[in-house]
Amino acid sequence: MSSCFLDEETFCQCCQLLLQHSHSLCDGWSWEQVKGSEGYLRKTALGTGRTRCILDQQGNSSDQHQERTFSLSFHNDEDDEDDGAVCCIQEESSSSSVVQYEYHILYSCSYQTPVLYFRASTLEGRSLCLEEVWDSVHPNYRQRLQHRPWDTITQQEHPLLGQSFFVLHPCRTEEFMMPVLKAALEEHRQVNYIVTWLSVVGPVVGLDVPLSYCTQVPEPPHTPSSSPQPPSSSPQPPSSSPQPPSSSPQPPSSSPQPPSSSPQPPSSSPQPPSSSPQPPALGTKPG
Amino acid sequence: MADDKDVLRDVWFGRIPTCFTLYQDEITEREAEPFYLLLPRMSYLTLVTDKVKKHFLKVMKAEDIEEMWFDFEGTSLKWHYPIGLLFDLHASNTALPWSITVHFKNFPERDLLHCPSNSVIEAHFMSSIKEADALKHKSQVINDMQKKDHKQLWMGLQNDKFDQFWAMNRKLMEYPTEEGGFRYIPFRIYLTMSDRPFIQKLFRPISPDGHTHTLGDLLKEVYPVAIPNDDESKRYQVVIHGIEPLLETPLQWLSEHLSHPDNFLHISVIPVPSD
Repeated sequence: MSSCFLDEETFCQCCQLLLQHSHSLCDGWSWEQVKGSEGYLRKTALGTGRTRCILDQQGNSSDQHQERTFSLSFHNDEDDEDDGAVCCIQEESSSSSVVQYEYHILYSCSYQTPVLYFRASTLEGRSLCLEEVWDSVHPNYRQRLQHRPWDTITQQEHPLLGQSFFVLHPCRTEEFMMPVLKAALEEHRQVNYIVTWLSVVGPVVGLDVPLSYCTQVPEPPHTPSSSPQPPSSSPQPPSSSPQPPSSSPQPPSSSPQPPSSSPQPPSSSPQPPSSSPQPPALGTKPG
Repeated sequence: MADDKDVLRDVWFGRIPTCFTLYQDEITEREAEPFYLLLPRMSYLTLVTDKVKKHFLKVMKAEDIEEMWFDFEGTSLKWHYPIGLLFDLHASNTALPWSITVHFKNFPERDLLHCPSNSVIEAHFMSSIKEADALKHKSQVINDMQKKDHKQLWMGLQNDKFDQFWAMNRKLMEYPTEEGGFRYIPFRIYLTMSDRPFIQKLFRPISPDGHTHTLGDLLKEVYPVAIPNDDESKRYQVVIHGIEPLLETPLQWLSEHLSHPDNFLHISVIPVPSD
């Protein structure tokens, strides 16, 4: 049975290819690196969201400040833990407004998948709370999030920056990636893991992925050592596939090199120190 | 020789005497007395401080109360870190009781996660357990458990019930004998002198040639700064549950016995005190 884990090096390569296309579209993605640690993709964008505002006596609204606590149990059917939550909601309304989003794509070594972190604030700089983020999710996606507890949006600490972000939980990534990767394998099509994954999770939180990403961004090249499986089961790039343009202008790195090869603590690759076999870059995995 | 199970109990029942003082700028109707509490190292601040809140609510007006949060010497305390970790990281070498300042206003939105109810703590706790099992067993053990088993883990933590918790948690500590240990060790190394909150990487407890990895092996690989060279004096303490385990300790053993209830080894690397 094939599974679809992504190792960190392939993650970086996929990101670099996405980045090249983003530059050509001026789509706003950049590669960030915290000193001495892993890198991540970053993008800011303006979007719409539903934010709360307080109505004063005259019925005028102003941007709400965090003035009350409230109980949130979106994903917990047994709502027995409401103790301790004070709920004194002032008269307020929810309206559609312009929201500043910031998206980060990080690699999770625990789940061996990418993870989407994001934060949102009003134009006045007030951070949106979880409830507002929830309200901003398009109704089409809301039902899906509510039914499956582990697909929900939660607030988490950003593992590299230490600040509060919202996250789409990654543990079910395999479920929707597997059929896509499997089909691509069988049809000898190229698939860039990050592009495919982002086109599924991005729209849920207001991040659009233009169609040209799916047609223009190639898969990273596979090195022989990363596919210990017999050739028939590892994805072969078709000979007519578009190669990444080598002459396009791109900060920060010149070709699909994993940026993590720049200054790092001793192990330059994210692989565990002395272990083999390595999980293959994409496609099948040793049992 | 102490039984390994005694270690589990000692770790579970670790406590930190704490003094909670209201922030001086909070608006009160009369003077607020400090509140003393023994905090469980195992638990989370927002889970065990209802009494603290009630105590200060007595001298405050409802409209002056927003979400409660804590700081220690100006550093806001992340409720989603286990209490013992917060202490080891920020207050290891200070005098007891641990002096924490209580706030009800100006919640630091960028730095702290909101915690509006216990459901959020439960979700966070279970999420950590799930992640740990993804590393240890490719999620097979946690996914084979039923919802009521997950609930038992949470209730054991919430109600401080060692036996109830470990009846279920022991399954998460098993591994196929032929493997010699977990697939990868769930750990996080926390640093005080870095923007980065922690280091987490893939690391196996046993090398392919059967060599047992130790705490020292882990540090050499992922954070060699923590280990002094032979000619240097020790600059950092490596602390787990308030103690400095020998660097020769097998990592697999540490993972089974010194993990927190969330199944992670939370390791603090702090500077050796200068005096």
